[in-house]
Amino acid sequence: MTETTSNKQAAVQPENDSKGRRVIIRTVGLRKSFVMKGVVTEALRGIDVSIYQGEFIAVMGPSGSGKSTFFNMIGALDSPTVGRVFIDEVDVAQLTAEELAYLRCHKIGYIFQSYNLIKYMTALENVTTPMAFGGVMPDEARERGMSLLELVGLKERWHHRPIEMSGGQQQRVAIARSLSNNPSVLLCDEPTANLDLHTGQEILELLQKLNKENGVTIICATHDHRMMNICDRLMWIRDGHIDRIADRADVHIEIGGIDSH
Amino acid sequence: MKAITIADQPWLSMKRTVKITIDGIKYRLFRASVTVAVITLAVAFLMNILSESLIKRNVAANTRERIQTSRKIYDWSAKLSSPGSPESIVFETADASAESDIYKENQQFAALSDADMASFQAISKKTVFLINFFEDLDYAKRRSMIHRAEGLGILEHLANPEAMETFKVALSRIKSIHFEMPMDELDKLVKQYGTITDITNKILAARTQAIAAVTAKLNGRTLLQALADSEKDFGATIREAGFIFDQQKTAPEISTQAKKLLDTLRLEKSMEIRITHIFPPKEENAKPEKKVEFPFRQLLAQQANVLPADVNVVMMWKHLESKKFAARYLTKMHEVEQLAQKSLTTEADGSSIVLEGISAEEAAVDDLTADRMVELARGRTENAALVRAERLTLDAGKGFMGLGERLAWLLFVSMLVCGIGITNAMMMAVTERFNEIATLKCLGALDGFIMIMFVLESCFMGLVGGIIGSILGGIIGLSRMLVSFGSAFFTAIPLGDLMLGMLISILLGTLLAAISAVIPSYKAARLAPMEAMRVE
Repeated sequence: MTETTSNKQAAVQPENDSKGRRVIIRTVGLRKSFVMKGVVTEALRGIDVSIYQGEFIAVMGPSGSGKSTFFNMIGALDSPTVGRVFIDEVDVAQLTAEELAYLRCHKIGYIFQSYNLIKYMTALENVTTPMAFGGVMPDEARERGMSLLELVGLKERWHHRPIEMSGGQQQRVAIARSLSNNPSVLLCDEPTANLDLHTGQEILELLQKLNKENGVTIICATHDHRMMNICDRLMWIRDGHIDRIADRADVHIEIGGIDSH
Repeated sequence: MKAITIADQPWLSMKRTVKITIDGIKYRLFRASVTVAVITLAVAFLMNILSESLIKRNVAANTRERIQTSRKIYDWSAKLSSPGSPESIVFETADASAESDIYKENQQFAALSDADMASFQAISKKTVFLINFFEDLDYAKRRSMIHRAEGLGILEHLANPEAMETFKVALSRIKSIHFEMPMDELDKLVKQYGTITDITNKILAARTQAIAAVTAKLNGRTLLQALADSEKDFGATIREAGFIFDQQKTAPEISTQAKKLLDTLRLEKSMEIRITHIFPPKEENAKPEKKVEFPFRQLLAQQANVLPADVNVVMMWKHLESKKFAARYLTKMHEVEQLAQKSLTTEADGSSIVLEGISAEEAAVDDLTADRMVELARGRTENAALVRAERLTLDAGKGFMGLGERLAWLLFVSMLVCGIGITNAMMMAVTERFNEIATLKCLGALDGFIMIMFVLESCFMGLVGGIIGSILGGIIGLSRMLVSFGSAFFTAIPLGDLMLGMLISILLGTLLAAISAVIPSYKAARLAPMEAMRVE
């Protein structure tokens, strides 16, 4: 299996852009359609985008624009109808189930809008589960789990179950969990949507810290305008198309809305 | 800056998998207990049927043996009073083993060599088959095949070539009937009719002679009374007459049973005893005054607190089980015995007493004691339980673990229903947890881990349900059998078989649960994480 793996990686050399940045996720002609009761809904209608290593990119767009679908595609959580997703120039569609599991476990961290913690596990167990899947010994996992909980400020509550914690605390456990195997990419699907202003701010600061200090690539779908203060690039999706991609410096942020033109 | 490399995901250790599974079950204890309840019910039902049929089979075997032994006295009194019929000789010879008394006895009576007797038995077996074949037919079919012939008469009838032709034509016409005997064998059998009647007639004649010899030596006793003495002189009388009557084995049994029967009859007869007091007329020309008394009925009526007219034999036996009452009963019997010795008693006041319903000999108490009465009464209850058990176990099958065809079918259907129930419960459990499955897959769980997790969970629940269910079903089965068989039940608990049945039910419950979990968990594990998350 290692041989095929190296083949898959050797197929395309990592592509660097004009500024010398390394492309970590690239999509080519990405389309996704759902069939429901015979009606075909096109969620994505051809998306070509490159995301660079170490950047913080915010994906914006109204509900139903295809944001989440795009997310699942680049996170190897769903398979596209047409088109390809390359993660570090590896075609996701060609990976076996075991390799996909490895990719999800070690390379990508997921943060969901609804936290998706395992209800019957304590905070620490939730954080250490991906480590267990990755083959880390229990003692080491426990140690690393505790330090991750300390990072998100929940060290004292390691033995609490999700139901005993507030939404913000749960989301912080989810962030700690997403970091458990030192991922290269962090995918956040509206991480602050279910939180109040203050807690949302804390989460955003945490994400920013991770991006700046640990060099983790963060891709974040959001409605939250505060995200624009901390991200490097902004991407708008509308009706399954990329509406616009812009650096933060080029975007005018006004009170009451964003002028995207 | 981290580069991305891809490798195979390692497997999670079994210990960790079990821990995660058990944590999950603990968290959803209520939900899990509902699933366990379904499995418990299924296994309890299975175990109930298994344990009941196992016990039934054993009770049936036990009672048949005991009843056969207890009925020996009837066999012998019938044998010593009537020679039987040619058919009965054929049937008993066909069934008997070459070592049995009846086989040797018939051989002696017919004065046959060993080889001749063996061939007679072979013919008897075929004849029995033939007679039974026609017995099982509908009236119309039977009529069209052999007209009105019956028993050995069938052979005689078929010996006529014309009748044989009619039978063969009818047999070829009625397709639904399967006659297993080859035709040439039937032809041969029919030709042996003469031999059969010769032998049976010889046996019948010899038996009649032997019975006459025995009857001559009764010396005024009834056959039952004589049989009670079979340990003494009467045993020899029977043997001399030509019957095979083992002095060591048969005689004690027969004499005990005969005595028991005699005592039983004596006690039951006491119900009919009446004493009439006749008082002399107080005035002239008036009729003498009569007062009738049923001493034992009145005694019982007092004890049972009912009217004397409502007293019956069953009531008598029930109350005789108490030794105190038996003693009172015995005292009364002594009184009656004394009364019976005088034919007419005249009292001081001029009244006279007449005893009716019993002769002086019959009224003799002899060696009857209160303990003996209690023993008889208890034995009667036991015997009633045996007879009941025999009736209840008529349907006990002989096949796998004593299951009859009907029960096996019932079991199969119930397992099917339970399998579907368990599958449904497991499917629900898996569907409810699609979100969790999707999350686990996002965290790097292998498809195999998800499947193992669910199958393991199902196995745990199957095991728990199986153990509870088999114990529950076993207890219900045992107590039900205890109620229906009473004392006969205790001698027939097949512990080893019950354990085996328990093991089978537990295994079956676990296996069924595990298999039921495979399909939904396979479905869940195969889905891409987001597809699973979309399913609600």
